[in-house]
Amino acid sequence: MTNTATGIIRALNSGIKHIATKRFTLRYPEEKLKFVGDGYQFDPSTGVGIAGLKGRHMLFHDHCTGCQLCSIACEGVAEAIAMVKVPEEQKQNKKSIMPQIDYGKCVFCGLCVDACPFYALYMTNDYELSSFSKEGLIYTPAQLAVKPYVEQDSEIVITKYGATHG
Amino acid sequence: MTAELPPGLAIQKVDERIMTLNVGPQHPGSGHMRIIVQIDGDYIVACDPDPGYVHRGEEKMAEYRNYITNIPHLERPVIHDSCNVLYPYVLGVEELLGIEVPERAKYVRVICSELNRCIYTMYWLAIYGIFLGHSTMFMWPAGDRELLIDLMEKISGARVTHAHFVPGGVRNDLPPNFEEVCLRQVNYFEKRIKEYAAVFYDNPILISRTQDTGVLSREDAIRLGTTGSVLRASGVDYDLRQKEPYDVYEELDVHSNVMKEGDSYARSKVPWLDMMESCNIIRQALQKMPKSGSVRVKLKPNPKGKGLDSVYKRVESGRGSLGCHIVSDGKVEPYRLKMSVGSFRNLIALPYLLKGEKLGNMPSVYWSLNYWPVEADR
Ligand code: SF4
Ligand code: SF4
Repeated sequence: MTNTATGIIRALNSGIKHIATKRFTLRYPEEKLKFVGDGYQFDPSTGVGIAGLKGRHMLFHDHCTGCQLCSIACEGVAEAIAMVKVPEEQKQNKKSIMPQIDYGKCVFCGLCVDACPFYALYMTNDYELSSFSKEGLIYTPAQLAVKPYVEQDSEIVITKYGATHG
Repeated sequence: MTAELPPGLAIQKVDERIMTLNVGPQHPGSGHMRIIVQIDGDYIVACDPDPGYVHRGEEKMAEYRNYITNIPHLERPVIHDSCNVLYPYVLGVEELLGIEVPERAKYVRVICSELNRCIYTMYWLAIYGIFLGHSTMFMWPAGDRELLIDLMEKISGARVTHAHFVPGGVRNDLPPNFEEVCLRQVNYFEKRIKEYAAVFYDNPILISRTQDTGVLSREDAIRLGTTGSVLRASGVDYDLRQKEPYDVYEELDVHSNVMKEGDSYARSKVPWLDMMESCNIIRQALQKMPKSGSVRVKLKPNPKGKGLDSVYKRVESGRGSLGCHIVSDGKVEPYRLKMSVGSFRNLIALPYLLKGEKLGNMPSVYWSLNYWPVEADR
């Protein structure tokens, strides 16, 4: 019986001690996590990626040749990439087609980035992609060319009083 | 109407005392599965686990995708343990295609797989806590696993479903300064999980609810083919990282945790001890890892197997041995792919454990089997 009592007191005590520790919760829209690098990238010459968050893609119009390799890579994954005609004034390559990505389907695996041999498709730190309609999730080549601005201000800090998102 | 009905449709004889109760499949303490129990008063007379509600056909899907595009969907069965689910597949494809993996990549894989094992186990522990009505034990693990998810996000760029392992290594190298951050957070994580002892594992209320319930003897554990923490909680020292080391596990000092009791308490404690062991392995791997070097071999765009060939590989996942059998016929897609998962093998023990138990003990026995419904259904 005494064993039970001391056990329960120990358990309570251990919980009560936590009142004094720092809050670990990330208060999301007010605080945003810091990431390493500018998003997942891939170097076709060495065949190795560069660490970073797998968020929304970024398309470099001046590098893209319209070779469709990204779209073929995605075929077995999510069929999220469609090759679309780009308007005459934005035309940068001979075929004048560029990838358009449907984020309603994309699973952010980054295999399309691994497939692009011309340094044209990377991923960025942008993860806030919600939209009110399904059409709003389809990003055209022009939208994909915009470099996002992502706020990043907090990281996990470990202090004497526990871990916190500082 | 005299034709005989198939067994499932036959009308059961009504007994005055025995009542049939469906637990699930809409998740109140069963996961996405149903447990059909027959109770006499408060005692369970018979139990029939009924999985299959979240079958996704992963194995069939794999036959229509090539060896690389199979990666994102094959890790879906257990998204919290996605590196370990993918591990046997990747090892198998490497053997089929005859790829030699760089040394550094092997260490990165070990680190990822140990981090994932902890992330999975923390999630499992959180649910175990809330099944028993211990909401502190839900909040703490759910919060503390953030430390490791953060590390996985730094490595692979995704919080769950990392798609990080590929045949020939891993997708990308560790980010700069990773060793230091990893060491700091893993050490703190280990300190935190040790605090769970006072609040949960040494808590007399937990002990009284789980001790001597659902006892699985050593012989039964072997006979029923259980694996992982369930097997080790029944006193069988069997850990694939020790017995059949893959990648660089033979160079690391892996200690397996064994308990003799075989009751729900032992089954809930072994994964917790395993997490501390995982922290040890991560520290060793960080120390022994070559400081630089390639992490991925360049493959041809659509790698093919060499003619008719088959391979079976297995690894120790968070739920026990996880195997993957791949048959190749020399095309870009696998001819057949089968997974042998720990969850399903552990579930087989449930009817034996619940017979004669009180209904109130069902959640603690059921979830102590370290069972993940989606993985069992594939
Ligand atoms: S990240 Fe994956 S799912 Fe998304 S577009 Fe690229 S290949 Fe397709
Ligand atoms: S993004 Fe890359 S892979 Fe896709 S069409 Fe352009 S050049 Fe080809």
